[in-house]
Amino acid sequence: MIELSHYLILAALLFSLGVAGIFLNRKNVILLLMCVELILLAVNINLIGFSTYMGDIAGQVFVFFILTVAAAEAAIGLAIVVVLFRSRGDINVAALDAMRG
Amino acid sequence: MLENYLPVLLFILVGLVFGVVPLLAGFVLGPRRPGAEKQSPYECGFEAFEDSRMKFDVRYYLVAILFIIFDLEIAFLFPWAVVLDDIGLFGILAMGLFVGLLLVGFLYEWKKGALEWE
Amino acid sequence: MEQAVFYLFAAILLFAATMVITVRNPVQAALFLVLAFFNAAVLWVLAGAEFLGIALVVVYVGAVMVLFLFVVMMLDITVAPVREGFARYLPVGLVVAVLMALQLGVVILSDEVALVGGLIPEPAADVNNIRAIGGVLYTVYVYPFEIAAVILLVAIIAAITLTLRRRTNMKHQDIPEQLNVHKDDRLRVLKMETERRPDRGGVGHEEG
Repeated sequence: MIELSHYLILAALLFSLGVAGIFLNRKNVILLLMCVELILLAVNINLIGFSTYMGDIAGQVFVFFILTVAAAEAAIGLAIVVVLFRSRGDINVAALDAMRG
Repeated sequence: MLENYLPVLLFILVGLVFGVVPLLAGFVLGPRRPGAEKQSPYECGFEAFEDSRMKFDVRYYLVAILFIIFDLEIAFLFPWAVVLDDIGLFGILAMGLFVGLLLVGFLYEWKKGALEWE
Repeated sequence: MEQAVFYLFAAILLFAATMVITVRNPVQAALFLVLAFFNAAVLWVLAGAEFLGIALVVVYVGAVMVLFLFVVMMLDITVAPVREGFARYLPVGLVVAVLMALQLGVVILSDEVALVGGLIPEPAADVNNIRAIGGVLYTVYVYPFEIAAVILLVAIIAAITLTLRRRTNMKHQDIPEQLNVHKDDRLRVLKMETERRPDRGGVGHEEG
């Protein structure tokens, strides 16, 4: 028997690590995407903890849809990264100022 | 229910032991006499020409994306197959629409030539 | 026992997440993210979400992380410039992370929400997790289910239009075309008068 709050605290720590990762790796788009995956994982842990705690399966169905959408997001995001690298030669976020006014 | 997963846990632990112990044994027991020649990169008797990391072709990426999509499709099919007896015709129609939409994507990538390796 | 398993895998999960955001090499970051996903899958199974634990391993570890690794290997990024500014942003990142963790902790541990001490119930032996998910996924949630198919379709089309480029300079075989070729396509028989070669006829016979 594990307390619900343990899952929530774990998810909160994981979420904070993901947010910190976005600050630390703001140069590299691929690492930014990985940090987004971490954040999504934290959210999913929360949803699953509550789903079992409340005895409502809807939370797990929702997590399944999040997995689907996140996989599609990773596929398109990485496709954009590939196109970016092909046209500009690097994926430094700071260099993406083509639309700067 | 969780007792059923005890073998999995034991499997993970045994797997970890099998992976880590030989590495550790080699690390602890093996003699280590490093030298400049021994530590230099080796490429069939030459000096190393380039970085050992080689660029992959973009075509692998496309194959990996298409694999993700159809992997997810399988993940959706799996619970469907389990409960098909309970949901009946409606379930078949719902999955028919789902698979039909992905079939459109499949035909698109086929016609575009994304599956051809050249 | 369960608590021990939970703490073990939660600790590995947090360690792996920390390594993901601090390690220098993107390949290593991707592999640590794989480790994090494995541990999260164990925790999900521990919370009773068996199917999602398996799905996380199959979909994320098996497919999404392979995609990440492909892209990292494909782009051939040098490590050093990517990490510039790491030390500069470290304090900001730490402050934001700690603040956010504290905020979430305050919410979770506050008396008004009253979550502390709530136990996650032991899954009953006769509950089939896949059956429970499937029972609602294709009936109650059939509309989001079809939208998921549309999203996957969009992902297929977007990925192909973004990354597929035909190589115009490559010579490749088209086997149906080779098989369907007809004699007329390759060989042309010309009807024409025979011509006398000028050097044989002699100079005097030349006309004009």
